[in-house]
Amino acid sequence: MKKHLLAAAVLAATAALSAQAGVLDDGNLSISGFGTVGVAQSNTDDVKFARYNQADGVGNSARIGLDTNLGLQATYKINDWLSGTAQVLTRKATEHSFTTDLTWAFLKARINDEVSVRVGRVVVPTFLISDYQNVGYANTMMRPPIEMYGQAPIENSDGADINYQHAFGDLNFTAQAFAGVSRGKLFVSTGAGSTATYRAPARGISLAGEYGPFLLRVAHARADMEINDIQPINALTNTLTSVGFGQLASDITFSTGKKIAFTSIGGTMDWNNVVGQAEYAQRRAKDKVYLPDTNAWYAMLGYRFGKVLPYYAHASAKGAGSSITAPAALAKIPALNAGVANLLTSAEQTTDIVGVRWDFAKQLALKVQVDRVKPGAKSGLLINVPAAGYTKDVTVVAAGVDFVF
Amino acid sequence: MKKIASALLLSAIAAAAVPASAAEIVVIVSKQNPATRMFSEQASQFFLGKSNLFTPVDQADGSAIRNEFYHKVADKDAAQVKALWSKLVFTGKATPPKEYPNSAEVKKAVAADPKAIGYIDKSAVDDTVKVILTLP
Repeated sequence: MKKHLLAAAVLAATAALSAQAGVLDDGNLSISGFGTVGVAQSNTDDVKFARYNQADGVGNSARIGLDTNLGLQATYKINDWLSGTAQVLTRKATEHSFTTDLTWAFLKARINDEVSVRVGRVVVPTFLISDYQNVGYANTMMRPPIEMYGQAPIENSDGADINYQHAFGDLNFTAQAFAGVSRGKLFVSTGAGSTATYRAPARGISLAGEYGPFLLRVAHARADMEINDIQPINALTNTLTSVGFGQLASDITFSTGKKIAFTSIGGTMDWNNVVGQAEYAQRRAKDKVYLPDTNAWYAMLGYRFGKVLPYYAHASAKGAGSSITAPAALAKIPALNAGVANLLTSAEQTTDIVGVRWDFAKQLALKVQVDRVKPGAKSGLLINVPAAGYTKDVTVVAAGVDFVF
Repeated sequence: MKKIASALLLSAIAAAAVPASAAEIVVIVSKQNPATRMFSEQASQFFLGKSNLFTPVDQADGSAIRNEFYHKVADKDAAQVKALWSKLVFTGKATPPKEYPNSAEVKKAVAADPKAIGYIDKSAVDDTVKVILTLP
């Protein structure tokens, strides 16, 4: 079934390609695409390694679902200042099969040479590579470090954004501000796994300065997350309410909408064949909610030997406290007290990554990457973990070909 | 496609046979464009999607002149330029420059658009366009 879907998507892409070469290319329509065909495997079946928000992880047998994806994008230029763009992305996310989503669809109006406005479904630039994290070819690493990119589920929002670009001498400055409502699914890995649906009015700003091969970017985004159907949380809050801890239950839940803030600073460089990318971000609850505060960072350094680019990266996610302090009276019910304490604790994990990117042919890049995952508190960001938790290191080996057309 | 490739190959061989100065690349704009001179760093901004002030017009993907141009103005090879553009394209921020098969077609496109900027073989220059930068 999964393979059929993927094959259908590839066929559709091929059809789109040949169509582009033929009748459709009237000069105003452009169709392009990106994708990755990848295979990955870890050294254990005790836990699974997954990208953020993926229901299926990889264990000790080769799987294509971790990194394989296909994006198709069409842009139609209506006139000199107005264009429309839509993009669909097929990948394995919160379901156990490949699914296709409309990642964005917007009308873009060029106000002048420096300002443009987009209205519709637009990408949310929470972190440094948020807006191109699914485009393998545009990235050095095989996948965005989950320690950082697992902090925010929001990928797009229905609303508008404004982009401003100005050169101050040799410094290129860009600013982007957005506002809209994000909706999507979350994979809840607790127990057998379930999905929840969120709705989040969100807004944010990102500022970037580019000086030759160096780019520095700061961003701040806020979302008012409302989630009604996180089953394990609802079970807990119902129990808490029934035993007289109604206030704690309403503090914990996302069902009434809770504000979460994301602040990040990051940069990239591509200087004299030295390729680097690093980022630090904080997630903070601005209302009382069970979701722990986190600090995450990663740093990558590579060196380009012609077409071959080996790299090393280290990523880390750590807890930074909770917006909730459980009432002392809860200690009288030890099981519940322990459950709440565990819920308010952040998962922690670090990963060492070595990999190589080889631009072996036109518009094709081969990547091989080994992740050495060190789960800390709460079995880190691994999924399908045993009830007793998991603290052993996990090695994940992946190979893939990224393409663009 | 093969014809273009062999034509390019032939012109590359021809360029190599004649004195080095004939293989120079020049950056051109329309006669109506007020610009008179430009540094190579500035020119690269338009071709790498960092500025919208001018509209870049590109040579054919894979052509020798294109590879040489990006190497000279930005010290990037074709794959690096492609990766850079794929960031911009797949975030909906920009569309890559329109491509033309040879210097004559690039010259024609630049001559017709006051905001266009292109690059051609120095030997292809005539009075329909204005040279604002010569790449040695």
